[in-house]
Formats: sequence, C-alpha cells, structure tokens
Amino acid sequence: MSKKLLEGKNAIVTGTARGIGHKIVEVFAANGANVWACARKQTPEMDVYCKELSEKYGVEVKPVYFELTDRNAMKDAFKSIMAEKKPIDVLVNNAGITYNALFQMSNEDKIKESFDINFTSPYLFSQYVIKLMLRAGQGSVVNISSTAAIDGNSGRSIYGATKASVWCASKSMAEELGPKGIRVNCIAPGITQTDMLSSMTEDVINETVMATDSQRAGEPVDIANAALFLASDLSSYITGQILRVDGGM
Amino acid sequence: MLTGKNTVITGTLQGIGKATLEYFVSNGANVWACAQRKDDAFEAYCKELEAKYGVWVKPVYFDLTDADAIKAAVKTIQSDKQLVDALVNIAGMARDAIFHMVSMDTMKLVFEVNFFSQILFSQYITKLMLRNPNPSSVVFVSSISAIDGNSGQLAYGSSKAALIGAMKTMSKELASKGIRVNAIAPGVIDTDMNKVVPQEVIDEKIKTMDIKRLGKPSEVASTIAFLCSDLSRHITGQTIRIDGGIK
Repeated sequence: MSKKLLEGKNAIVTGTARGIGHKIVEVFAANGANVWACARKQTPEMDVYCKELSEKYGVEVKPVYFELTDRNAMKDAFKSIMAEKKPIDVLVNNAGITYNALFQMSNEDKIKESFDINFTSPYLFSQYVIKLMLRAGQGSVVNISSTAAIDGNSGRSIYGATKASVWCASKSMAEELGPKGIRVNCIAPGITQTDMLSSMTEDVINETVMATDSQRAGEPVDIANAALFLASDLSSYITGQILRVDGGM
Repeated sequence: MLTGKNTVITGTLQGIGKATLEYFVSNGANVWACAQRKDDAFEAYCKELEAKYGVWVKPVYFDLTDADAIKAAVKTIQSDKQLVDALVNIAGMARDAIFHMVSMDTMKLVFEVNFFSQILFSQYITKLMLRNPNPSSVVFVSSISAIDGNSGQLAYGSSKAALIGAMKTMSKELASKGIRVNAIAPGVIDTDMNKVVPQEVIDEKIKTMDIKRLGKPSEVASTIAFLCSDLSRHITGQTIRIDGGIK
C-alpha cells in the first residue's frame, strides 16, 4: 500500500509554466508518474524544472512546448508525444485564461478568445489524446473547470461560461467513454493563489476569501492533490463528476 | 496517505465499513473500529490487522439506537487519551417500501439509526477533535438515493438526504475550528445491502451507468481515505458521488 498513487503511469498536463499546472506536474512526479508537461513557450526555467523533477523522483518529466490555439502546433506536439509509443493514462486539461469584465463591458474578441483557449482547444486536444487512451482501453481525464461555472459571479459571465461548457462536455464525454474504460471528471477550484488572481482587485479577493468557511484562499497544491485523486485509481468508480476545491464557499 | 491518523469508523463489521477499516489500516491509520455487537471473529480480525500493518485497531461496540451505549463508547474512546483525526460515519440501515406502505415506526427507526444517532455521535467525537491541534475530518456516508430519489427508498433516501443537510451546516460551523466535514454518495455498491435487490433490477441499473458494473466497497473506501487525508485539506462541505456515472 505504500505504492505511489500514480506509479508507472504516464500523464499529459497542459498549462504547466505557472500556477496550478506547475504544481500538478510536481505532485504527479512525486507520486511516480511520468509527465509530459505542456507549456506555451520554451523557457530555461521550465527545462530546468522538468529536469530537476525527473532526477528528484526518478521519473521522466518532459517539457512539450506549443500554443494551444495553434492547431498545427497542437497536432505536432501530439505527434511528438505519440512517437514515444507509450500508453497515456492521464490527461489534465489545465491551461486556460481568465477574463474579468462586467456583462455590458465584455467584448466579442475576448469572448471568442476565451472560448478558444478554455473550451475549443482543450476539447480538440482531448480528441487526440483520448484516441490513444481508447487503444489501451483505460484512462482518466481531469478538466479544470471553476466554481464560477457553477455559482456565477459578477464580472465572470464569460469566464464562467467557458468553464461551464467544459463541465457540460465532460459529462457527455463521461457517458460516451465510460463503457470504454475512460473516466472524465472536473475540478472546480474556488479562489486560488495564482497569477490569475491579479486580475481581481484586492478588495474582491479579501471579500471572497472571508466568505469561505476555511477563511483562506486555496493553494495550487490543494488543486493538484484533487487532480491526483481523480487521476489515480483512488477514484476508479467516479466519473462525470465535478469536485469543488474551494474551502467551502 | 493516512499514516498515524487516529480514526473512528462505524459499521466496520461488513460491507463498506469493513472495506474502509482495511483500507485505512493498510494506509497506516490507527482505528477505533465500531461495530453493533461483540463478535469473537471480529476481535481476532482486528488483532490480525494490527499485526499485519503495525497499527492499533480497537474494537468498540455499541448499538446506534442506544443513546447510553453511544455515550459509553465515546467515553471508552476518550479514555484512550489519543488525538482524534478523523471520523467516518458508515453504519446505517435500509428499510425499503413504497411511499404509501412506509410505516411511521419504520421512518423513525431509519432516522434514528441513519441520522439522529450519527449526529449525536458526531457531536461527541467532534468535541474530542476540538482538542486536536491538527486539522481533522468528518465523513458521512450518504447515498445517491438522497440526491436522485429512488423508488422504494423513501425512508432510507430521506435519512441520507438529512445527513447532507447537516453536513453542510457542520462544515460552515466547524471549518474555522480546523474540522472539515464532507459526505460521499455511493451508487450501487456490491455489498450485502444490495444482495436483497433482484438481479433484473441491478442489471437495469448497470445499463444506465457510464462504468458498466457495480462499485466495489474498496472503491468507496479509497474516496473516504482521500477525504480523511491531507490531500483534501481545502475540500469541505462537499458531497462526492461514487456511482460509476449512474443516470
């Protein structure tokens, strides 16, 4: 039972340069997974981060660089992953952007951009990855949604809608793919200490944090641990669910 | 995942409770294993688990319909002078009958066992948790019947729905004191409780699931373990469905 929760599993995680995705890579590596850590741009920091995690935990953490909205780059990235001829056990669609604007102020370009990055791109990427999972007849997909998708918050109509669309698609995917051995679940982080928070004013952050039962913002590791749970066999009978990690909002 | 965590688990004689006891000790937890009645085979089993996993497993016996026995059991636990890190309320009963056939005696009995006594027991145990400087966790075992409704499960489903209501309020009240409170809602799990359900009914249910099989008790236990572990330290007030995506 001292076996690591993702021992020998291969995982793809997107949006790993910073924040929640960055932490997911570390938590997964620490739990025995080999990880393809996807990020938009190659940076020396990211290369070093992956190398250090590989050495520290005796796993393979490989950076994969591509822009999610560039379909050709996405396809090439996927091909490079596929060329390694390894089964893929876990996919975490974490990459996303935030957009804060009141309803009357939200503009069309931002709406399109938000849906492209938060919904369409991970959707298309999942089509590629799940094709591989289907060959193995097993896999777990974890999509990062948001409490904004469930609760609705001022200034979050577009962001919340993109994340609600992720959740909705996840439920359909769970039903379609469940009989083929693939589970699909979502995490709904509440207010979490990442760069995304900088898009909110300090007052709003404080007010939101004070309104949570735990009286603190979540940390990336809290979300990463929930992703670990949903990625691992701990949750082998859980599919089509959304798990709030919000300290009680 | 649970190394050194001192945990109270009820309903450990069989089914999900037994699987949870095994899962917890195999992950390093010490357990007060609560059961309805003294049982020699169970005593021996607890000793076996202790030897195998190097933890302590203390059997505690009480009937959930006996308030005095509940109190006495809490005193026994308290007298061990150990910190309490987690409480898992699993013991429960089902009394199936269609709405018009459910007697008030049945309703009262089911609520006594599935709700009132669990609240009473949780009041006592969380009082002990307040002395614990570390964060602690309470888990209630509700049911998808509480959320979805299920023909023939009026008493059972209602009592399990009441648990979710209580869980949410407890979560709000106790979070500031370092106690998280969550529930799980198992679907159709392969336990004795479901042995009474005709196979045709089970087969029909499986057709509506995304994962085309019954759940295993160990698959419920692993989620309970997650909720009692530090992995879920920012999760409170939630109900996690473990149902294979049943519709």
